Amino acid sequence: MAMTDELAAIEAQVREGLDKAQTVEELEQVRVAATGKKGSLTAIMRMMGKVAPEERPAMGKLANTVRSHVEAMIAARRDELEQAALDKQISAEAVDVTLPGRSSRIGTQHLISQIREEIEDVFCGLGYTVEDGPYIEDVYHNFTALNAPVDHPSRSANDTFYVVDNAPEGKGDLGLSSSDLLLRTQTSGVQVHVMEQRKPPIYMICPGTVFRPDTADANHLPQFTQVEGLVVDEGITFGDLKGTLDYFCREIFGKDRATRYRPHFFPFTEPSCEVDVSCGVCHGKGCRFCKNTGWLEILGCGMVDPNVLRYVDIDPEKYTGFAFGIGVERVAALRYDLPDLRMLMTGDERFLKQF
Amino acid sequence: MRVSYEWLKSMVDVPVDPKDLVAEFVRTGTEVEAVEKMGADLHDVVTGQVISKQPHPDSDHMWLCQVSVGKKNVDKEGNPEPLQIVCGAQNFEEGDHIVVAMVGAELPGGFKIKKSKLRGVDSNGMNCSQRELGFGSDHSGIWILPEDTPVGLDFADWYGLSDTVIDCEMTPNRPDCLSMTGVAQETSAILDEDTHIELPRIAHEMEEQTSDLVDVQIDDPALCSRYTARVLRNVKIGPSPEWLARRVTAAGARPINNVVDVTNYVMFLTGQPLHAFDLNKLSERDGKRHIVVRAAATGEHLVTLDGQDRVLDSDMPLITDDGATPICLAGVMGGEDSEIDENTTDVLLESACFDRGHISRTSRRLDLMSEASIRYERQVDAARCAEVSDIAAALFEQCCGAEVCSGIVDAYPVPAVAPVVELRPARVRLLCGAPVDDKFIVARLTRLGCKVDTSDPESFKVTTPTNRPDLTREVDLIEEVCRLWGEGDIEPTLPAARNHAGGLTVDQQRIRRIGATLRSCGLSETSTYCFAETDDLAKLGMSEEGRGIPVRIMNPLVADQAEMRRSIIPGLLRSVAYNLDHGTPNVHLYEIGRVFYGHPKKSSPDEPSMVAGVLCGRWNLDEWDTKYAQLDFFDAKGVIEQLTSALRLTKVRYKVAEPEKYSWLQPGRAAEILAGGELLGWVGNVHPLALRRFGIDEPVVAFELSLAALLRLAKRELPYQDVPTLPGVAVDLALVVDESVTCEQVMQRLHSAGGKLLREVQLFDVYRDDARVGVGKKSMAFSLTYRADDHTLTSDEVEKAHNKLVTKVTKSTGGEVRS
Repeated sequence: MAMTDELAAIEAQVREGLDKAQTVEELEQVRVAATGKKGSLTAIMRMMGKVAPEERPAMGKLANTVRSHVEAMIAARRDELEQAALDKQISAEAVDVTLPGRSSRIGTQHLISQIREEIEDVFCGLGYTVEDGPYIEDVYHNFTALNAPVDHPSRSANDTFYVVDNAPEGKGDLGLSSSDLLLRTQTSGVQVHVMEQRKPPIYMICPGTVFRPDTADANHLPQFTQVEGLVVDEGITFGDLKGTLDYFCREIFGKDRATRYRPHFFPFTEPSCEVDVSCGVCHGKGCRFCKNTGWLEILGCGMVDPNVLRYVDIDPEKYTGFAFGIGVERVAALRYDLPDLRMLMTGDERFLKQF
Repeated sequence: MRVSYEWLKSMVDVPVDPKDLVAEFVRTGTEVEAVEKMGADLHDVVTGQVISKQPHPDSDHMWLCQVSVGKKNVDKEGNPEPLQIVCGAQNFEEGDHIVVAMVGAELPGGFKIKKSKLRGVDSNGMNCSQRELGFGSDHSGIWILPEDTPVGLDFADWYGLSDTVIDCEMTPNRPDCLSMTGVAQETSAILDEDTHIELPRIAHEMEEQTSDLVDVQIDDPALCSRYTARVLRNVKIGPSPEWLARRVTAAGARPINNVVDVTNYVMFLTGQPLHAFDLNKLSERDGKRHIVVRAAATGEHLVTLDGQDRVLDSDMPLITDDGATPICLAGVMGGEDSEIDENTTDVLLESACFDRGHISRTSRRLDLMSEASIRYERQVDAARCAEVSDIAAALFEQCCGAEVCSGIVDAYPVPAVAPVVELRPARVRLLCGAPVDDKFIVARLTRLGCKVDTSDPESFKVTTPTNRPDLTREVDLIEEVCRLWGEGDIEPTLPAARNHAGGLTVDQQRIRRIGATLRSCGLSETSTYCFAETDDLAKLGMSEEGRGIPVRIMNPLVADQAEMRRSIIPGLLRSVAYNLDHGTPNVHLYEIGRVFYGHPKKSSPDEPSMVAGVLCGRWNLDEWDTKYAQLDFFDAKGVIEQLTSALRLTKVRYKVAEPEKYSWLQPGRAAEILAGGELLGWVGNVHPLALRRFGIDEPVVAFELSLAALLRLAKRELPYQDVPTLPGVAVDLALVVDESVTCEQVMQRLHSAGGKLLREVQLFDVYRDDARVGVGKKSMAFSLTYRADDHTLTSDEVEKAHNKLVTKVTKSTGGEVRS
């Protein structure tokens, strides 16, 4: 057979082999059979020396053309087969994307501590420090230094848990009126501790646990959380109190909420007021949530009574200030419309995991 | 305090309706609890006239009446039709005007009028007595109305019940507002309107002098700063006139009789509680009655008006008959023995001022609150006792036919002085942060009853009214001006603060990081009570050593909150039990909170904070391609490892927790955690016996760490270490050692034997097999990485280093290489 025919036959053979090859491995066999060391095309190339010199250039050219043609065909088929293999793999690897993902589950932060941190962050942004103090407080810091009159009902055993004083000069376990120690009913005592140690300017909040003898029910807990704030500086006005608490209310409840200041009475501030925020459910129109008032009471506040400043040797002529107290459970209850505050204390995972 | 809108309007100009008045009250600091439309509940109660009255065919005392109620009852054509009513009263005749409760009415006390049959005869309503309508106690017959009363009107409208009562909650600093005159004054200041308060005056005084009949002695002015007595003769007890009954009703009291109603009315009007004694029930000595105000003796008794025998103590002020017999618990409640009754003719009227603290404590201790004690607790105006006595005497004259003895006996050891307070208008503007003008300040303070002397324009001299004990300082006056100006109208500003900075401290940030790390490990934060049950530690088997003595609460609400906790673990175990009981098998909780260690000889306990956690069940319910193992010691330890790493603690060690010391933990599965030699806390399986006592049948691993130690040992940063640029060579080593050899010991030996070239040691298997490894032995497989910083190690170098390591380690651990 003439070399020309042979070359044509090889090309045909390769084409046929490629058509049959369904895998990269089969394709490789075809390639080896044609262009491998012992391949048919390789053999022809080797025989080129035996071709007559006058035919050699033409024959060489033809052989090279055939070879590059065959190589191109093989490469094309390889691409085809690889693509098919990849397609097959991809289709085999498809999953139901709605199956649950896989990860280690992280825990959640307690609702009260979330809100407490939010409040802390709002006031840290305003340049406040966050202070802390003892839970077991004395009567002086919890009441007296806060200008609570000696006979103020809040001092009674109905409103305050008293604690046995073990000191030799303490009056021991003789009776309620004999103990100067109590579970703090407010974190305001921390303000007194801070003012005893530091001079103005004072910009601080004291978040923390407080205690009152209320039997636990849907709306009360004997242990709850307060954030009290205190500012003492030169030239502090009632307008500053309003500006600060307006900012706080908007940060915590939302930019669209309005505030209302109702004059009130607290022993440690004067003037004093209670602050309401407009109801988030009805936006002030009145609904079940706000008992048809359009407003929700959220905190008490006022200008620091000069007596409180005098107790800690701060000159009330030079310095003025304001103080406020926020119930964290109240904020939580308002935000989530919680039906029962006791859920905050059971450790029920079904409750905790929601926040 | 119930404020009648109509009554208020009779004393001050009120150009606004009740709704707007309420808004003004709220704006200026008077809290409104409820607004009540009087008479609204008396529906289907109408005026009527008896057309005919026949004896009941089957009764000898009942009457069969036809009662016209005008258009309130009509037939099918719309013509008025009388009602047939069976009535048992005897005090009425045909033609009398009466009050009819028609079918559908509901009378005070919830009595519903229905169609009924009385001894076989239909009755379609009821003719009412005063008492049945809630007006006084007169039940002697039905209420006969004046002859000119129109028929067929709503009774409430006709009677003028259509008043609005605003129920206000007064803050404790405002005793003045527990009176209608005080509320009128306040309203005048709020609305900037005039008052016109007209008070009754005595028409005639007898020649007989009160001072010839009564003598008053105050033993201790600290109990009672003023006591006035007056005698009223020939009092005729009877029902009150309608106007009096109506006002007393509006104020929230039930009309009883003219004497009681007058004393109540005057109290509601002026805020001064009064007490009426039956003069003739008091003993006489030297022709006089002797009132002695003194402290009760401990154990002394008094039967009060409500029939209760009260045991008194020495803190309670007492009114006595000549010093001996208690007759009235001063300022709280009168005694039964000297009470006014239907036979009373002569009255000794008390108008006095008792100390607020004593009354407050007495009322609380006896759990006895009265309209009087509420007012005394907040302070009564001693300066007005005599004036109020006059007002009451005038009303006794008017309403009880009394004759008034001349003058009063007035024991007033320390007369009250109206304080003069300096008020700087500039200070008002500074504190309010608002442009409050002088005119406003003067006008409104004057409305409140102050006298303002403005001769010094920089500093006004303000004489405050005696019924405002809350106005003694400049700031008290500023508060008044501020609230009347309107707190809502003051422009909000932020403090123009200089020279201060805020933010969280490093420790506060680290506490947040501790929480975040524990959450990222899968624990959820919880909050349990700081209270404890007295046997909590005993139940847990936790020793008291190092935990002080319990901080005991004197007045616990419940027995299981009688003291403060000394460990967070019992609370967390209760939460585990709660979850298991409620169908949640997997519990992972932590709490950062305080515990309380009392000192036997010191007042203030230590209040260290603890980081505590519990793990029970698995990390999760099994998932479609992931199964979770039972949580054990190493899960809890892993959490601690993450925590110490997040805080960059170094030299952290876990030591076997001695069972004697850690008796609440399961021996062999409990460790002490140390960092830099300092004890951080413990981690381990809670002892199965302890768990059982908390009602838990599943294994629980727990930990409790000292927050203070964590914060003290935490580091801001650790030194940077070069990232290796050259490859290391990993060699595996399986070492068979005795069970008693710990992982920590083997690791230490490996590190010391490996020299400079050994860089990483990773334990990847622990294997036990009696046959292949040997009894009492374990095989520990390590992956060791050798590396040098300056060149790539040759295989010879690695082999040499490794062989040296193996020789040393087998020798120091007594182990051998497992091939």
